[in-house]
Amino acid sequence: MIRKCLLMTLVVMLTVSLGANAAAQDDMETYVLGVVLPFSGNLGTFGQDFARGVELAVSQVNAELEAAGRPIRFEIASADTENTPEGAARALQTVVQTTGAQVSVGPLTTSEVLGAKQFADENGIVIVAPASSGAAGAIPGDNIYRVIYPPDVFASKAYANIALERGHENMVVLHLDDPFGNGMNEGFTANFQAGGGGEVASFAYTPGATELSSEAAAVSAALAGFGDNAGFFCVCFLSGAQAFLQVAQIDPILTSVQWMGNEAMTAAEILADSGHAQTLANADFITVSFSSESTPLTQIFIDDFTAMFDKEPGIFTNYAFDAANIAMLTMLAAGNDGAAVKSMLPFIANHYIGTAVQAFLDENGDQAIASYGLYMVSDDLSAFDEVGAYNGNTDTITYN
Amino acid sequence: MPTALLVTSVVNTIQIGSLYALMALGITLTFSVIRLPNFAHAEYVTVGAFAALIVSLSGEVNPIVIMAAAFVVGALVALVSHLVVFKPLEGRNVSLYTLILSSFAVGLILRYILFMIADSFNLFDTRIRIPLQIIYREGALILTNVFAWVAPTSIALVLLLTLLLNGTPLGREMRALANNISLARVIGIPVERVKNYTWILVGGLAGVAGALWGLQTAVSPLMGWVAILSVFAAAILGGLSSFSGTILGAYVVAFSENTVMLFLNFNFGVDLAYKPAIPFFIIIVVLLIRPQGFTELFNRSRDLQR
Repeated sequence: MIRKCLLMTLVVMLTVSLGANAAAQDDMETYVLGVVLPFSGNLGTFGQDFARGVELAVSQVNAELEAAGRPIRFEIASADTENTPEGAARALQTVVQTTGAQVSVGPLTTSEVLGAKQFADENGIVIVAPASSGAAGAIPGDNIYRVIYPPDVFASKAYANIALERGHENMVVLHLDDPFGNGMNEGFTANFQAGGGGEVASFAYTPGATELSSEAAAVSAALAGFGDNAGFFCVCFLSGAQAFLQVAQIDPILTSVQWMGNEAMTAAEILADSGHAQTLANADFITVSFSSESTPLTQIFIDDFTAMFDKEPGIFTNYAFDAANIAMLTMLAAGNDGAAVKSMLPFIANHYIGTAVQAFLDENGDQAIASYGLYMVSDDLSAFDEVGAYNGNTDTITYN
Repeated sequence: MPTALLVTSVVNTIQIGSLYALMALGITLTFSVIRLPNFAHAEYVTVGAFAALIVSLSGEVNPIVIMAAAFVVGALVALVSHLVVFKPLEGRNVSLYTLILSSFAVGLILRYILFMIADSFNLFDTRIRIPLQIIYREGALILTNVFAWVAPTSIALVLLLTLLLNGTPLGREMRALANNISLARVIGIPVERVKNYTWILVGGLAGVAGALWGLQTAVSPLMGWVAILSVFAAAILGGLSSFSGTILGAYVVAFSENTVMLFLNFNFGVDLAYKPAIPFFIIIVVLLIRPQGFTELFNRSRDLQR
């Protein structure tokens, strides 16, 4: 009899205990954070590193939520954009329809962001884009927030100012044939000519091209046609920059003019080739890059990332980390609802200090703080040294 | 069109055309002997480039060693893909469409394995460590050490392949397979062994082409795939059964992409971004107007006629 009672008591205790656990589990709410990035394609290396940045942010926020006893956890749902606009639309749709995600970190590039835009706008999905900067993405009232990197209207103006300061009468531009490259080219040309510059000859190349000898020959011929006081401006991603440098480094015209280029040309892989590094140094290559000013979080992020993944974060990876944090903080405040997130995100972003700089959004939902550094190849060709700064908000360049 | 631009574009045509020829010959060989338009060929090229990159990163700067490594790895991967995928499928008498689809699948699997390797070892957009040097300069004519490796190596390998096909027992057996595989089997040709050698040759050549392509540009998991359309255009232009036609096709495609494109850009303002459309244009025109390509321009008796 006693044994039976004891057994019954144990069964009841076990049932109650399991029930309590189940109730606790039921109370736990899961918010899905979409991660829509190029895991394959030419920017696969960036996409994969960006995803790690998001993973770190999610693990940290989840740890804080657990420590605080809050019944909310974030989960990541990833999809590959394949670095194409159509792929981005497909990836966002997949994540949303399979997981119910209301917010996505990424896509990466402006062409991908614009590819996913229609689906996001029509379905109330909020895109927090960590690195898109193309002028074509600056659209008021849409569901896209480019919270870290300022739009290229500032950078294109900075490049035009530098070209004019350097005394270039005419310019040749090689640019990606996508919204980022076309936007930068158009912005640069307009600002250069508005500032008194002369002709601008532009050559577009297809994203993903691995061989640019024709383009280099065309740029060289255009520079030769302009004669003295012409400069060259390269707007490309890393693989394009490498392909171009490989052929340009032996061209007598291209190696005798001054160069400017976007910040993808400052990747470590470029300086790893001594010929490429020397070419850029000889050409007084200068780039305008979003300010690398450190905040108290910068080193902490690098240390945490290295500890978690056993490798240092790649270039711009902290932007993904910051974008994920802004997205999650907004979801914690607004709930897992796209419309509420859209409404609250500017407020949260404007009160967020990240690993690079404070976010402050303009009427288009884009970063409004346009603080850039100017970089040139160091004397020993081992790094890019900061040689000055550009304040996009006041349109002023200062050199160290 | 200025002379300097013309000279540069012709040098580029020779350099890139030689690489296309090397890659396209493998496609022609596979199509003729194995009877498969193999889209995984692009990945054999990329595998070769990665093998070359890894060897060069280990400190080796001798291009012959680098190319030998690329040949071995490319050959091995091609042979394994034959033994593991294509041969079992052939044994089940699947249709050509199934084989083509499986070649896409093999290519995708290889590509994503390369993505994983590149990610794990930080090999994205890395260059083979052979510095570019000018070896000859006269006016607008500039030749580099890469040109000196690419053009002669491609031409030498093409000649060797032609000699192999026309002057060795293995070559005769390959041609017999290309002409009539059933008859070849009946007269006692070891069909499977010849096929194995063909795959080794195809993969090896693609591997060397990848190493040389890697000297020209940066190594990435997509480099072969990006080039494959131009290479297929060259092979189709060559009629998919003629070595001589394939080589001529490769130079025609490279000439169109470089000299013709620059001519159109310089004189008529045609955007260089249209360059990737050229291979499509060539393929469609050839298939519509002259499906046999350049085949009939050359001596048919020595080609891989079916």
